[in-house]
Parts: sequence; C-alpha cells; structure tokens
Amino acid sequence: MYLGIDAGASATKALIVDRKGKVVSYAIVPSGINFKVSSQKALEKVLKSSGLSLKEICYAVSTGYGRALVKAEAHSSEIICVSRGIHKLLPSVRTIIDVGGQDSKAIRIDEYGRVLNFAMNDKCAAGTGRFLEVMSNLIGKSINELSRLHHKSSKPIRISSTCTVFAESEVISHISQGSKIEDVIAGLHQAIAGRIFNMSSRIGFEKDVAFTGGVAKNEGFVAALSKKTGLTPLLPEEPQTVCALGAALAAIRKYEESISHAHL
Amino acid sequence: MSLPRRRSRILQTTRKIGELIMTYFSKVSDAKSKGKPVAWVTVFTPVELLYALDIYPVAPEHFGALCSARGFIVDYLEEAERCGYSESLCSYSRCSLGYVLSGMNGIMPPPDILITFRNSCDVYVKWWQSLHMHLGTPLFVGETPYVLAPEDLDNYVLDYVVKQLEQLIEMAEERFGLRFDMEKLVEVLKLSDKASELWFETLKLRRFRPCPLGGRDSASDIFPLVVMQGTEEAVSFYEELLREVKGRIGRKEGVIEDEKFRLLFDGIWIWHAFDLIKYFEDKGAVFVYEPYSEAWAYRLDASEPLESIARKILSMGLNVDIDIRIERFLENIKQYQIDGAVFFSNRSCKTWSATQLVTADILNKKVNVPYLLFEADMADPRQYSEAQIKNRIDAFIEVLSES
Repeated sequence: MYLGIDAGASATKALIVDRKGKVVSYAIVPSGINFKVSSQKALEKVLKSSGLSLKEICYAVSTGYGRALVKAEAHSSEIICVSRGIHKLLPSVRTIIDVGGQDSKAIRIDEYGRVLNFAMNDKCAAGTGRFLEVMSNLIGKSINELSRLHHKSSKPIRISSTCTVFAESEVISHISQGSKIEDVIAGLHQAIAGRIFNMSSRIGFEKDVAFTGGVAKNEGFVAALSKKTGLTPLLPEEPQTVCALGAALAAIRKYEESISHAHL
Repeated sequence: MSLPRRRSRILQTTRKIGELIMTYFSKVSDAKSKGKPVAWVTVFTPVELLYALDIYPVAPEHFGALCSARGFIVDYLEEAERCGYSESLCSYSRCSLGYVLSGMNGIMPPPDILITFRNSCDVYVKWWQSLHMHLGTPLFVGETPYVLAPEDLDNYVLDYVVKQLEQLIEMAEERFGLRFDMEKLVEVLKLSDKASELWFETLKLRRFRPCPLGGRDSASDIFPLVVMQGTEEAVSFYEELLREVKGRIGRKEGVIEDEKFRLLFDGIWIWHAFDLIKYFEDKGAVFVYEPYSEAWAYRLDASEPLESIARKILSMGLNVDIDIRIERFLENIKQYQIDGAVFFSNRSCKTWSATQLVTADILNKKVNVPYLLFEADMADPRQYSEAQIKNRIDAFIEVLSES
C-alpha cells in the first residue's frame, strides 16, 4: 500500500492507494498550526478507516505547504501532484484550476499528465480559500452555507477591492446598507472567480478543464467560475484529495524506482 | 530522502567585490574631505564624464542594494515612511530618502551635486527633486527621449542629449571651479570601453557547459560597471575575472558540479534574499543569462566622446522598444541554450516588470520555454514571502525535470 499526504495551508489530507493506484481510503483533517500533529492525525484516521497498519505502507510521499515537516520518504510539489492525480481520475483534462487554502493555481498538462506550464496567485490571499474563510467568519455563515445561499441570490453585489482586508470592510458596508446576505455571498464568489479567471487566462483554458482543491467543493464558487470562464468544468468526486492522490501515485513510482535501484 | 547537496562555487574574483566596494566608498570619502565634489547619480548616468571632471560619483540605488543585502535597510525605509513617503514607492528611493532624513550616518558621503538622466525610470525625476528639496544641493535633471531602436537614433535626439551633457559640464565648471579637459575624457572613455569589452567577453563564456559563472557572480561583479566606469581599477578587476573564468573553462569546471538546468533570470536581483540563487543551484539549476547583467556595459567610441556617451544613455535597455527586448531574449535563449526562464516581478520597479507577462507568454509560445513568475521587492524584505516563493521554485524545477 502507498500513502500520499497533502499538508495544505488549511486542511491536511492523507490518502492510501493499492499497487495499481486504486484509492483504498482517505482522510481529511484541519491543518491547524502544526503540520506534524495534523499529518499524524490524518494518517491515524486513514489507517483506521482502511483497517491497515503502518507496516503495510511501503512508501509515503508528502506534498503541500507543510510537506517538509511531514514524515515521508520523499516529497513533491503540489503542482506535480495535482497534475498526476487529475490525470489518473480524468485523463482528458488539459487545464486544472486548483483553489486551495492559501494558493490558487492554474496548470496546463499534456496527454501524459506532464506539466507544461503553470501560474499561481501572487502572495496576497485574495483569490484563495483563505479569502472565503475570512468572509464566512465575518458574515457568520459556514462554508457549506455559502454554497447553499449562493443560488438564492438574484442581484450579486460587486466587490471592487482586490485586497482581502479592504474587501472585508466593503462587505461590512454592504451589509449595513441592507444588502441581502445571499447577494453578498454571490458577490464574493464572483470576486474570487474573477481573480482566478484573470490569473488562469495567462496560461489559457485548453479543454477539458477541471476544478480541484477544497474550494471546488463550494458549489457557489464553481457556478461563479463556470460562468466567468464560460466553461463546463469536470469535477472529480472528491476535489480536495486530488493532490494527495497524486502524491500516493508518486509513492508507487518512487518505490518501484528504489526497488529497481536495489537490484542493480 | 533529500537531494545530495551540491557544492556551489563562487569565483575567487567575485569574493573580492566586498573589499572593492569598501575601498571605493573610503576613496570617495577621502576625496570629499579634500574638498573634491561628490555627485549622487542615478545608475546609467554617464559617470565617465564625472571622472573626467574630477567629480566622484556614488549611486543611491547601489547603496540601497547594499543596505538590503547587508540587512540594515528597514531602518531607512521606515524613516522615509514616517516622513510621509509611501510604501508603494521604489524601495531604493525610500532607502536613500530615509538615509538623508536620518542624518546620513553611513558610508555614503553627502552629495555636492545631484545628477539624474531619466533613461531607465520615471521615478528618478521626482526622487532627485525630493533629495534636492531635503538637501538643497544643486540638481541636474537630464531628459532622454524614448527610442524605438538605437540604430534609428536620429541626430536630433542625439544632439538634444549632447547639448544636455554640455550643460552639465558647464554647470559643474561654474559651481565647482573645475576645468573640463576633453583629452582626459577620451582617456576615461577608453578605460570604460575596455571594462565593458572585458565584461561582454566574460558573459559570453557562460555559453559553455557547464556554465563557469553563475548568478551570484554576475550579480556582484557588475559593481565596478555601476560607478567605477572609466577607472583603472574596474579594468583590472574585469581582466582578473576573465582570466579566472577562462581557467574554469579550461578545466571544464562549472558553477555546480551536476548542471541540469540552464536558466534565464529577468529582473533586478533580490538583494535581501540573495540565497535564493543558491537555492536554485542546490537543485541543479544555474543562471546563465540575465538582461540585468548585460545592461551595465556599453561599447564607447572615444573618437566621438560626447555623442558616444549620449548613445549609451539613450540605448539603455529600458529606454528601448519592447520588441527589441523580446528579440534579444529569443536570440539569447538560443545562444545560451536556456531551459527555463525566471521572471521576478518587482514591486519597486514597474518600469522593468510591466512587460514581463507578455514577454514570458511570447517566449513560451515561440520557443516553448517554461517560465516562473513571482512577485517580491528587490530591496524591501518586508514585501517578501519566502515559503511561497520557494514553493513555486520547487514546482518549477519539477516542471523542468519533466520536460
């Protein structure tokens, strides 16, 4: 069995595959401030749900922000892991738009799942999951509610600021002026979609296009981004674990390499 | 499991730069104490003309880079910000303004004259006017029209800049009681041209595999071209450098032992995070070409002294059309066998960064060179996110490994 751990800025994901790359089980836990703790928790959880013991894991690859802090045989960047993961799940995909807790990225891949080019958000948090987290705290709605309320909006507000902190005060002023909460939510989704659209346009949208990352679980955001790009995106069943899957697939490859080296 | 650490090798000659800089500053201070005028200049101002007039130039931009690299720039930046200069202003400008506003207690001696030519940056004019406002020192602002192509430089534009050089000479003669000597200028120009010739020759040797001179070398080695153009010291430095680089080529010795990727770097270096270059090198990637390193040298024709200086000022890379710059990129990607391009989008330098996205896009489409673009500030360490940038570098190196 092979393990991929994606220690992301917001959530830590652990995923186990068998020798053929089939997903056995996965677990998602909040990252908190200590990646060592969160990755340990995710590992325990995934072992428990799969009924496997640590001894049965041949090789582990870590990815994500905290990858260097996670106990694993090797680590790899999210760009590569997301690409490998999506290629396994949806081989027709050529463009990936991945929106995570702290990063958003657009990746172009070829028919073999190899990365051709990528673009990432600049260091600012606008256009990432963090932006939505800040806003959901502000308006007192959970991320799940954001998704539900989005579709009730008939007149989304327009957020003009690109800065998370400024956007926060904009939202406050809209709410105090009596804007409906669903219109605020839809406006926020449009704002983040607009930002991601601009970034992704740098590398182009070759079809098929897939959305991945934790934020792709937010239907409101997916709707806003689909509208903005004019695309019908492919969505993996569990968008949040695509990167961990890529890491687990890398673990198979690396394990096989290490075996063949050993025989040389 | 981690990659084995590779030994990075900075050239012996490069290691002498620190001392050369300190000697230079103490020489200027000595000259100042003997009553010789000191000029604060923007880079790409003709320092050759100043040397011929016996005026000692220092460049606040270079001072900013130095303060940033040595880790004490933030005090100056904050002083400027406290006095009302916006955080969005160029960090070099904030550094020198903060230095002036906090009493100039550093290695850069106070100026007797402020000189700028607007060839590479629009901020120069307001920046130098602000320095003038705080210091009351005489100010010379030279205007350089934008040129589409240096070879199309018409006489009208050239005459216009030559006229301004004559005005600068006149101003210096009047203010400081100096006498301009054309023969001396010719001598200085010959030395300047020699230093440029040597530097160009050295840079060309980076086409060899493995590359003998890396980013940490080229970033440091430009110093003598910034404010010492036209001095004997600059020429002997570049002679020594060229000798050492040739020696490396003879021994087939590279910056890194296992050269995997040859990269282009576009932008000013990030002085406070200089180790980023080493971070690339540790991953088997070496910088072999930077427009920034080339920008400092220019072949001068001593038979036409003032015209030649005017051509140099006007042909500065940021004063020419973007198509010419892109052509240069394409040509050099071939010449230097470049595998990938790194674009540093600089918060301070919009003049440089504004064209990067379109350039990167064209390179990617025309010659299929993968690129990495990240944002930071060349001198302000507060506008820098190390983890995020390293994360992008890791991904970029993996992309290069795949192609």
